[in-house]
Amino acid sequence: MEFETLIIAYLANEETYESGEIIIEEGTKGDWVYIVLEGQVKVTKRTSAGMLTIDLLKRGAIFGEMALFGKALEARSASVVAADGQARVGVLDTRQLIDDYESLTPRIRLLIKALIMRLKESNEKAATLVVAASEKKRKNLTPF
Amino acid sequence: MTDNPSTIPPIVRLSYRKGDLIVKEGDYGISIYKILEGKAMVLKESEGREIPLVTLAMGDIFGERTFLNRASETRSASVRALENMTVEVWHTARLSQEYNEMPPIVKYITDQILTRSIRMNNLIVKLVTQEQKAKLAEKRMDPLTSQRRFHRKKVDMVCQYRPFGASDRFHLSGRIKDISLAGLGMEVMRRDASGVSHVLGDCFVVTIVLPNKQSLELEAEVVSVQKGEIAGELVLGMSISEISPKAKKSLGFFLMP
Repeated sequence: MEFETLIIAYLANEETYESGEIIIEEGTKGDWVYIVLEGQVKVTKRTSAGMLTIDLLKRGAIFGEMALFGKALEARSASVVAADGQARVGVLDTRQLIDDYESLTPRIRLLIKALIMRLKESNEKAATLVVAASEKKRKNLTPF
Repeated sequence: MTDNPSTIPPIVRLSYRKGDLIVKEGDYGISIYKILEGKAMVLKESEGREIPLVTLAMGDIFGERTFLNRASETRSASVRALENMTVEVWHTARLSQEYNEMPPIVKYITDQILTRSIRMNNLIVKLVTQEQKAKLAEKRMDPLTSQRRFHRKKVDMVCQYRPFGASDRFHLSGRIKDISLAGLGMEVMRRDASGVSHVLGDCFVVTIVLPNKQSLELEAEVVSVQKGEIAGELVLGMSISEISPKAKKSLGFFLMP
């Protein structure tokens, strides 16, 4: 299924961000879930050695979902910034997504939670490793 | 939602001992595990090494990836028991039905989380492997470390030594208990060496006569001081700081197993 068809019923709004503009800020609270419609966004984390880009998301990629399916109202674990030119993102209807999530069986919910927890830990670990490696080499701060 | 007991396949409880491999990377399997007791480590293998990813504890789930990732049939990582453990094993037949009934958008999001998670873990493996390789290369480049890999020979040889800078007519007696190209262990009697300090950082010139009557001289720094078995006896751990190429060659021959 094309992702547009999938999300059409969930699309609450569309926003456009210029290159470098912050869409989600690490540490703040929020439960909006977004989808990249055009352009690309980068996921960054604050580290002791500066801003680290941990991922680059393209058309069709969902972000901000961790806050929704993880622990409610937890601070955002990373920032998301528009990368290389304009990015058009869709804002998804949080209420509807929560309803969907809550319609899942407890076991499936537990699986999704486990998956999110694991991803968060992996992100942290990868960030720590990249920082350690870059401090040694004094190279620019990106794993890619 | 209420579960009808008759449709739920039995949940099995299993026990594992510390060190057991519960899930093996690359194996076929779709069961999902929930930890009831004990801790486990998720790890990936890379070039013969185990790279730890995360530690899991009571209440944590593992094995969910192969179930959620319809594209793969094999385990993406191994899980090893860090303690004696009890786990609950979920039969996934019923779960598959629950999964298929998920709203498509939730499935779409779950798939993305899964892909990112797998990518992140591969990145961790790449970074750790790189780091290990760098460390290994560093070790090979460090001459002292490569020397340390040399055979440390247990010996019992009488030697003479003097504080660094003292006249070479001045000598004290000691016994060398072990020696390698990087360092040596020497026993000395404090009363034979009145007035000479034997503390960390002291530097001595040591003269050894090898069994083949060859005599060699080297400079070594005290890196550890311990009391010996007899009162007044000191055991000095010393690191060789200066040795002539010729002396090093003789010592090397002597050290060959």
